[in-house]
Amino acid sequence: MHRLPFLIGRRLWQLVPIIVFATFVVFLLLHLVPGDPAVTLAGDYASKERIAEIRQIYGFDKPLIVQYGVWLGHTVTGDFGKSLLSSAPVLDLIKQRLPNTILIATYALLIAGAIGIPLGVLAATRVGSRVDTFVTSIASLGVALPSFWLAILLVANFSLIFHWFPATGARPITVDPRLAILHATLPAVALAVGVIAELARQVRSALIEVLSSQYYRTLRAKGLSPIAMLWKHGLRNVSVTMLTILGLQVNRLFSGAVVIEAVFAVPGAGQLVAYSAINKDFPVVQGVVLVLVVIVILINLTVDVLSALLDPRAAQA
Amino acid sequence: MLNDYTTVDRRKILQGTAAAAGAVLLPAGTLAQGAPRKGGTLRLAMPYNPAAVDPMTGRNLPDFEVLYAVFDALIDFEPQTLNLKPGLAKSWKFTDSKTLVLDLVEGAKFHDGTDFNGEAVKFNLERYKTDQRSNVKADLATLDSVEVNSPTQVTLKLNRANAGMPNILTNRVGCMVSPKSVKDAPNGNVDRTPVGTGPFKFVSWQDNDSFVLARNDSYWKQGLPYLDGINIKIINELNTIVRAVVAGEVDLGVNLQAPQKAIADRSSNVKAIAAPSLVLYGAFLNYGRPPLDNVKVRQALNYAINRDEINKIVAVGLGQPSSAILPKEHWACDPSTQNMYNYDPDKAKALLAEAGHPNGIEIETYGWADQLAMQRQEVIISQLAKVGIRVKLTPLAPQQAVQAFMIEKKGAMFISPSSAYPDPSQLYEALFGKTALRNASGIELPGFRELLDKTMEEQDQAKRKAAFAELQKFVLDNALQMVQFISPACAVHNPKVQNFHDSLLAVAKFTEVWLQA
Repeated sequence: MHRLPFLIGRRLWQLVPIIVFATFVVFLLLHLVPGDPAVTLAGDYASKERIAEIRQIYGFDKPLIVQYGVWLGHTVTGDFGKSLLSSAPVLDLIKQRLPNTILIATYALLIAGAIGIPLGVLAATRVGSRVDTFVTSIASLGVALPSFWLAILLVANFSLIFHWFPATGARPITVDPRLAILHATLPAVALAVGVIAELARQVRSALIEVLSSQYYRTLRAKGLSPIAMLWKHGLRNVSVTMLTILGLQVNRLFSGAVVIEAVFAVPGAGQLVAYSAINKDFPVVQGVVLVLVVIVILINLTVDVLSALLDPRAAQA
Repeated sequence: MLNDYTTVDRRKILQGTAAAAGAVLLPAGTLAQGAPRKGGTLRLAMPYNPAAVDPMTGRNLPDFEVLYAVFDALIDFEPQTLNLKPGLAKSWKFTDSKTLVLDLVEGAKFHDGTDFNGEAVKFNLERYKTDQRSNVKADLATLDSVEVNSPTQVTLKLNRANAGMPNILTNRVGCMVSPKSVKDAPNGNVDRTPVGTGPFKFVSWQDNDSFVLARNDSYWKQGLPYLDGINIKIINELNTIVRAVVAGEVDLGVNLQAPQKAIADRSSNVKAIAAPSLVLYGAFLNYGRPPLDNVKVRQALNYAINRDEINKIVAVGLGQPSSAILPKEHWACDPSTQNMYNYDPDKAKALLAEAGHPNGIEIETYGWADQLAMQRQEVIISQLAKVGIRVKLTPLAPQQAVQAFMIEKKGAMFISPSSAYPDPSQLYEALFGKTALRNASGIELPGFRELLDKTMEEQDQAKRKAAFAELQKFVLDNALQMVQFISPACAVHNPKVQNFHDSLLAVAKFTEVWLQA
């Protein structure tokens, strides 16, 4: 257990090279794709002279490594710069957008956990039964369904026909929690379906392995009640697997948010990064990527710490 | 002179007839418009985040949805014909071909309480012409100097004849920004803090999310605007906008495309409108090098496409099939130029053979990569294939395609829409002028300049129109473009929204829009 602080320290230290590497790769990708932000900035009525002038004003004519260096230098001092497209401070944009994405992702994760894990357990404890067949088929379907299609289906029914939920937009949870949850429900459900399916499948197969193991047979021979066995020994043994899967799903939720936010017109980080990447607004893309990298690493760190608490062997690794 | 208020145009008559015919079919109550009602906040959705709300640094056509709400231009226009009418200048006249005198309205104030006057006009025009950050310098290339004769009169001295100047003053460079707001702003940057004289005041802007405007209670046009304010929701996905209107979450969705009108038409509780616009779907041709340096190949291209079919498939029949670059509603359009190239695959094949390509040719082409563009491009490619023109298409994001075709001079053709310009002379210059970005060939055909100059020298609108007809015929004879159709401007709204009209410019004005109780 005393190794835990080392684990945390090491992971936090790793943040630095990972952030530099990730933002540099994104920076290169943005610039390797043909297209010049100066053309976008010059607009519908661009003239050649204006494009050349813009290149010079914004420093797009400088070598890539110099441009990246300038960005990194400012970022280190906490200055994330301004959007090339709208001059809005990047940090403000992230502060406005990220809470919406985090709300939807957390909500989706809660829904997925509340449904996916019990489904997996149900199927694993009744292998081969009708319940198991039902769960595995539903899970396969859930993995295969495109989330945007599901999202449109949800809007068409629950917003346009039944009027239970709003079709578009988001509200800050700090201002009106009820409205915020109402707005986030359909996007969260659309995002959660894939994760439910993934969780159910993974929990089922991990639990089946535990349930058919030697020690579990011994426990049964000792006469423990099935419920106690499942709680104390079965689920505890798959909890690390569950955590790892949940951690991985968070990344998936953030990337899925790009599409879901577009369908529901949610002003979130996914939409921000997609819109900015298409328009080569690299200060915004870089800023969002940086924040997302930090979030993903922190979540992985939390998963590792929790795993270590649940299974001390993990901390040794 | 240029402003012609009394004309009864054919379009209005047609609209009236259509409305009367439609009235028979509509349930009672739909027509219960009555007198304009004051009050209410319009909930508007549009797909584009404004690039900037300083007319000088903004860059895209949809910026005008908010620009025209916050700013008044010196000269205003009739939305459906672009005929001029008074704005902040109550009248104007050319005292000679290079001198334009503007008489300004009295009593107009900027939202910050400062007066609008001749000095403000001079300040703005000079800022547009010289500021390092100005995206609109080219619009004022013919402006030499501005003289303030009195608080209500200015004289614009031009360095060459430009009869199009009043039209130009309806657009970005005509929009009057409060000089005080610019002087007070750090580095003079008012990209996100617009202060104009317009019907609505700026309240807030959350990037790519919302834009809020409130009524200007001391607007210089008595009794206007009707609305208390406008809450704009920026929703990038066009179909999501339609869903938001159908769900009753917004009142009006603008800047939509033809397929959205078709979707909205299926819903009984909303109205969908498609109006003609200046946005045109065409293909830029690099006529400076083989194979498109041969006029016969370019003409073959124009005969090989079936514009009616493209319009039906791509724009659900709502567009205006045309070989010319202006819609027939525009004052400068000679309708006979719209069908100079009718679908004739045999003629196309014969022209190709005459040009020395009896077995057809391959054309390296750029295009846009979004779904609608791909659909349009596939139709064009299949039509051209029938006469032996094989299109080798590279689809890219719009600005990447611009860079490849216009700047790096790759390929011979670029299938892309084109935006509107306030004055047609500017449009022809921007498309075919020697140094124009969009003219990838970098050459100007002999005879073009003289015809273009004539459109700028003629003061009388009828004579200008004749000059534009000649210029358009020249462009068509030489097949310098491959226009397919003029795009409709589409909007969807709930029946409460009254007096809403899209303009030919494909942007709306909200001064006289009102909401039913």
